[in-house]
Amino acid sequence: MAAFKVENINLWYDDNQALIDVSLDIPGNQVTAFIGPSGCGKSTLLRCFNRMNDLLPNTRIEGNIIMQDGREISDPSVDVVKLRTEVGMVFQSPNPFPMSVYDNVAYGLRCQGIKNKKQLNTTVEYSLRQAALWDEVKDSLQRNALKLSGGQQQRLCIARAIALEPNVLLMDEPTSALDPIATAKIEDLMQSLKRMYTIIIVTHSMSQAARISDQTAFFLLGKLIEVGPTTEIFQLPKDKRTEDYISGKFG
Amino acid sequence: MNRARRRKDFFRTAGTWASAGLSVLVLISVFVFVFSRGISTFSFDMLTDNYWATNYLLDIENGEANDFVPPAATDEEKYFSRKFGFSLVDDIDKENNRLMVVESMSALSPLHEGIIATAGSDQGKTHPVPLGARVRRIDYTNINGEARSAGILGQDSSAAKTIERLEIEAVSINGLFYQTTGGGIRGSIISTLMLIGLTLLFALPLGVSSAIYLHEIAPRNRLTSWIRAAVEMLAGVPSIIFGLMGVSMLFRITSLFGINTQSILLGSMTMTIMLLPLIMRQTEEALIVVPASLRMASLSLGASTTQTIFRVILPNALPGILSATLLSISRIIGESAALIFTMGTAISDNPKISQGATSLAVHIWTVMAGEQPNFELATAISLLILVMVLILNLTVKLLTYRINRKWQV
Repeated sequence: MAAFKVENINLWYDDNQALIDVSLDIPGNQVTAFIGPSGCGKSTLLRCFNRMNDLLPNTRIEGNIIMQDGREISDPSVDVVKLRTEVGMVFQSPNPFPMSVYDNVAYGLRCQGIKNKKQLNTTVEYSLRQAALWDEVKDSLQRNALKLSGGQQQRLCIARAIALEPNVLLMDEPTSALDPIATAKIEDLMQSLKRMYTIIIVTHSMSQAARISDQTAFFLLGKLIEVGPTTEIFQLPKDKRTEDYISGKFG
Repeated sequence: MNRARRRKDFFRTAGTWASAGLSVLVLISVFVFVFSRGISTFSFDMLTDNYWATNYLLDIENGEANDFVPPAATDEEKYFSRKFGFSLVDDIDKENNRLMVVESMSALSPLHEGIIATAGSDQGKTHPVPLGARVRRIDYTNINGEARSAGILGQDSSAAKTIERLEIEAVSINGLFYQTTGGGIRGSIISTLMLIGLTLLFALPLGVSSAIYLHEIAPRNRLTSWIRAAVEMLAGVPSIIFGLMGVSMLFRITSLFGINTQSILLGSMTMTIMLLPLIMRQTEEALIVVPASLRMASLSLGASTTQTIFRVILPNALPGILSATLLSISRIIGESAALIFTMGTAISDNPKISQGATSLAVHIWTVMAGEQPNFELATAISLLILVMVLILNLTVKLLTYRINRKWQV
């Protein structure tokens, strides 16, 4: 069952075409990795799934992304605010709000108008457990989130997204600002999260893609060059450019 | 380096040094001037006293002569009345008029038993003569039962003569006429506070909201850039023009509330318009500093734009808004031209929102504009204003420093 069906997406920033005729399926409850050199359009495509591109002025999109329930993502009947609760996002560098750990995780729920203290407590604990952060912060939930380490901050951002019980987690190079130990923790986390969520990750690290993803898509200059099961892409790439990129000939 | 180049460099560098030195020198001399002139007049009494001297005409009952013991240490300048138990000293006021001041009173002195004799709501209330009262006249009964007067209004030119006359002639004292010192700035301090409060009440919500609209909500098009430019230009308009606009245009609004004179309300409305550019600019600067990643994070969590503004952006812009507030306060304290038109120049000891009053800065103008400029009081107020503005500006610097540090991860 595909979580998203991407059909012939073209995207322009002003006059620059950032995505050219991209089509692919994102399978549910799997990790899909987008790889490719900088400026290849992988992050742009990621932002299409929760319509964050809407926020940039002078952006024009053509083509469809069909959601699991059969609706088109840019359909007027799709409430973009609701869509973003269903499709969570984790950014490149950790960006917790300058408030307490608890308030960070409860933020999304409070925006939905949930004030029930008990429900908030339960969700905060559940989300922090899911993000493997609970044991480290359970005694200091009122501490300012900016005082956490970078890796903890990133896991807090994951917990913050999970708190809304999304179907999909978008991760835009979530470990690029972290050290190897924190990176390993996040990667372990993704393995356990994929049972519950569909994960799409943009990464610059080929080894990371190989380690954690089930499916890999390789982008180059706005085009989708090749997509398939990760083992196939890394062992038997069909396209010469994919092979060159993976073997480090350019990048 | 050849010599010509070296010489050229020397002159250029010397020029920068000299200019910087000059500005520091000017700043220091302003401070030294105000401090040295103002500090002698500056006192706590000045802050709490009324500006206008009040006259008190008192009846004194049971003012019969008695035998009081003078306080142990009486030096020659003080003249003690053994019959009535008080002492007077000579003094002169700022206009060089002679006056006598009550210096001490025995516990049982009849001066504690004054009753206000002036017609009015306070008539008949007990009113003990305070220490420091400027006694103008003392009414007494002499040995023949005739009413007589002593004191400056009774042809006695000094404390010594007044006391002497009382000691020789008086059987009882029946009344006393005195003036309070006056010359204080209590009223102007209160009206300045009222002006600050009212102005911030109007200007902060307006300024902050419009800054939020311009920076967060409005599309970036020609109209909004025009609005921005207009606001910038507003900041450059001389304040006296705002004052003129205040009396001619805003006056119609205040007269809707039945206020048909210059008033603190009118002044604060004028100040509101003057301060809008400042507050908008400062708030917008604070909004710009909030990292875009927080905006993205909030939106990606399903918050609406408005929720993002009020839950994430505004709290983070708060220190900036606070420094805008402090800067506004120092502008209000320092403003005079616009307020002369809109609040008037009559010093009020009991300021009301619906009536004219002077702020501290206009108080300076008023005491200097009279026939006998009161230079001492003017510099003392300047000292107060200078200190307040200095403190406010230092607080702003501190806040700005802390904001800048907050986002340096």
